Amino acid sequence: MSLAALRADFEGFEGTPADLIPVLQRIQVLHGFISKDSVHLISRWLKISENEIYGVATFFAQFRFKRPGDHVIKVCLGTACHVRGGEQILDVFRRRLGIQPGEATPDGMYQLERVACLGCCALAPVLSLDDKVHGQTSVLQVRDLLGGREPSEDS
Amino acid sequence: MSPKPIRAKNARTIAIQLDHRAASCPEGVTVLRAAELNGVFIPSLCSHKDLSPFGGCRLCMVEIDGMRGYPLACSTVVQDGMSVLTETTAIREMRRDILELMLSEHPSSCLICTEQAECRENQYTIRKSGVSTGCRTCPKDGQCELQSLVEKLGVSEIRHPVYYRGYEAEHDDPFFDRDYNLCILCGRCVRMCQEVRGASVLAFMNRGPKTQIGPAFGRSHVEAGCEFCGACVSVCPTGALVDKASKWDGKPDGAEISTCPFCALGCQVELHHKNGRLSKVHPHLDHEINDGQLCVRGRFCLPETTHHHERARKPVLKRGRYFREVDWPEALEDVASRLRGLEAGDFLMLISPDLTNESLYTAQKFVRSVLRTNSIDSTARWALPGGTGVWSRLFSLPISIEALAHADAIIAVGLDSRFYFSVAGVQIRRALREGAVLVTIDSRDSNLARVADHWLRSAPGMEGRVLRAMVERLFSGDAGAAPHAAAGCGIEEVSLAKAVRSIASCRSLAVVVSPSAFAVDPGGELAEALFRLEGREQTTFLPLMHGTNTRGALELGALGELLPGFEKADDAARVSLADVLEGRARPKVLYLVGEAPFFERPPCEYVIAQDIYLPPFEVDAFLPAASFVEAEGTLTNVEGRVQRSAAVEHLPDGARTGRVRPDWMIFSMLAETLSADGLHFANAGEVLCEISRRVAGFPASGDRRPRRTSPTVDILPRGAGAHPPADSARRLIAEPGGFRHRGIDLSHVVEGLSELRLEEGLRLHPDDLEELGVKDGDRIVVHVDGMNVTGTARADADCAPRSVTVHRPHAYGGLAHRQGLQCLYRFDGRLLNVTVSGHRNS
Repeated sequence: MSLAALRADFEGFEGTPADLIPVLQRIQVLHGFISKDSVHLISRWLKISENEIYGVATFFAQFRFKRPGDHVIKVCLGTACHVRGGEQILDVFRRRLGIQPGEATPDGMYQLERVACLGCCALAPVLSLDDKVHGQTSVLQVRDLLGGREPSEDS
Repeated sequence: MSPKPIRAKNARTIAIQLDHRAASCPEGVTVLRAAELNGVFIPSLCSHKDLSPFGGCRLCMVEIDGMRGYPLACSTVVQDGMSVLTETTAIREMRRDILELMLSEHPSSCLICTEQAECRENQYTIRKSGVSTGCRTCPKDGQCELQSLVEKLGVSEIRHPVYYRGYEAEHDDPFFDRDYNLCILCGRCVRMCQEVRGASVLAFMNRGPKTQIGPAFGRSHVEAGCEFCGACVSVCPTGALVDKASKWDGKPDGAEISTCPFCALGCQVELHHKNGRLSKVHPHLDHEINDGQLCVRGRFCLPETTHHHERARKPVLKRGRYFREVDWPEALEDVASRLRGLEAGDFLMLISPDLTNESLYTAQKFVRSVLRTNSIDSTARWALPGGTGVWSRLFSLPISIEALAHADAIIAVGLDSRFYFSVAGVQIRRALREGAVLVTIDSRDSNLARVADHWLRSAPGMEGRVLRAMVERLFSGDAGAAPHAAAGCGIEEVSLAKAVRSIASCRSLAVVVSPSAFAVDPGGELAEALFRLEGREQTTFLPLMHGTNTRGALELGALGELLPGFEKADDAARVSLADVLEGRARPKVLYLVGEAPFFERPPCEYVIAQDIYLPPFEVDAFLPAASFVEAEGTLTNVEGRVQRSAAVEHLPDGARTGRVRPDWMIFSMLAETLSADGLHFANAGEVLCEISRRVAGFPASGDRRPRRTSPTVDILPRGAGAHPPADSARRLIAEPGGFRHRGIDLSHVVEGLSELRLEEGLRLHPDDLEELGVKDGDRIVVHVDGMNVTGTARADADCAPRSVTVHRPHAYGGLAHRQGLQCLYRFDGRLLNVTVSGHRNS
């Protein structure tokens, strides 16, 4: 990605330091995450140091600095799901994929996230795989959801 | 953003009430500053006079009549008639609570230990440890702001659960260590790095309890482009950031104000000493030059330069095939016997522009009155491209460093202020914060170009022509159609016109020109442009050159053709440095005073070296000189200020301490051995008195006011102007290197500097390297002027595209690895077309 390509994606921005957060958000939408290269280019464009940009971006939970997995699993730990055993379901994902929430599997297949509510508490415990919401789940369904994927070695 | 402060000079005085007592202060300052001005103490850990209010530590809370709660003194601006209570029972209680909260996350067992007093009494030495668990194992013990506040406010217990963050201490970067377990997140270092230095290497990362300070993506400071100016270390209130070299020295015994011996800005420093030895250097709060700021050299390189294990401290004579340490009388007698009965043309003295005024003056007097010749020369000449005539006139311009900070418009030519003249960069940033316009003219990408309003990126070597075109337009206005076309300079007419328009309406203008720009300006167009600007009102200049006392060397006659005070000397049978380098002359005796501009022993019968390190080749006699902390003296900075260089180490002669003498004293002793009169001085002060009698306008004591010379020397005819580069070839830029002191390259004696690898190898733009199919660190061959030179390629994103930059050192001590590049140095700033080809991996 070059500075010119970056500019093409960001028409309408004035290029002042105040644009930083919207620019970061747009980058995350376009690329899925914020790479070192894009931080370098933004730094040259907005005249803010890479370190300051990183500082701002890490302040907000919404920005990622690693490429996310292809399929995103969101396990709900809202009040209702928590009471109905959401934590155990997350634990099984954790062990099966060998990753912590917020991380992607080394092969880039799955991304594990914990969320606070998916908006359908009556179906607790709830999780979503990509855009499909699964209600009244249990730990027994995890293996099927992952398409029979074998647990990672270190789990 | 904080509101723009009222400029101190315009502020009126207002009356306030402090703790029921009447007080007064200037309008627009904070309550904290007002209290400080009136001698009332308000505790604070995050505020700093140079930084914007932060309100992070919350210790400075006060009660103000008519305001709700407890406003912070550091971020509340005083108002006329304000009534402030700085200490009440409630405030005292809350401050203690806040400190307890801070201590719950700070290793502080020693602070609340009941056996504190006994422990301190029985501790004879500082406890060295990799990780601090309490004050007794912390390098800041006794110098810590947090510690002294805890003692002052009387915190004796911590009622909160204690938490240790468990970060790994960071020892990998040069010059300073970091242990963020001790950090209280006051943000002083972050604001210093971002606001004052503009380097923005430090930032807050993450948030909440995970907040940490450092560069992005967990990079090291070297990778993140840190300047290692040490400003963050100076303001750290805890032991989180500490100097590596003086880490375990403990609290210094005292400090002397002195002048930094490493460049011509002449920054004022505090030399902290412990047990009669230089421990560390802090910037002095001197608003005229550096105002509490320094660069990596001044902040960290002094102790290592004078204490390095290779430091030569005893006279040495060559006897047959052997070298023998001898006493002074024997060494002097041997040297004197060689100096007796020399014919004109048999002798040459080379003297370093890093010496004090006293030593330079005594040296030239020794050569002229004892040896009766004008054969004295200096590498100062290399730092004065264009010739002594041009520079003696440049020094007659109004030169000011401080004026940069107050200018409405600044033109910076070829200046990258990260590692060279960084204090000038700090002053420029200060002006930018006040709304000044900055125009940079530079073929390279520089830290100032990145913040400039207009960056005129010229072709290499065309900076002078661009500046001249700008100046012409400034005088003739927009209508004046390009008297000096900027054609061929690589700059579009539109951007030049825009830049001129932006500064045309500004009242005060400051122009800074770096040595790199002067070096590639053989036609003298830069100097011409500066002289043309002399007529403009409210214009100040800052023509910079390498070498600490280069101006002193020029004024005091260390260059053979000029006597002290710019009088013309007799040219008969004078030998110069260039004569020796180009083989035109072969003096029998060569006397090197702090100079080593050779890799190999020059072809002379007898070579004398007088320095703080042995030169990189064999000599017949070595006379050990005192370093900048071992002898008193004065240095002349670029503005003409004659500033004191203090001595903090007074070592008696001995087996370990050696037998060093100030340079002027060695000349004086030599003259006595030769039974010559007129060189007997009791101390450096007497030499300075004689200088002031001889040179008009030179002060007889430490008078720090800037001086303007009144030049009487004719300006010599200048060389041909630079030609715009041919499209096909690359350009060779031989830039003057700045990291030297006397005969030694600083990166040889200062370990940290060598890690930064600043002036090494053949530097190319990364795109150029890619085009050549070469990686950083590969060996490349440069074809120039019929020669093939092999060197290591270094990727440097700041370099001008399609150019090869090589740094020409002014002293070759410790630079054996650069020997292969020697033949490039003779081009000395000339721009040459080169081709780069045929690489092989090292």
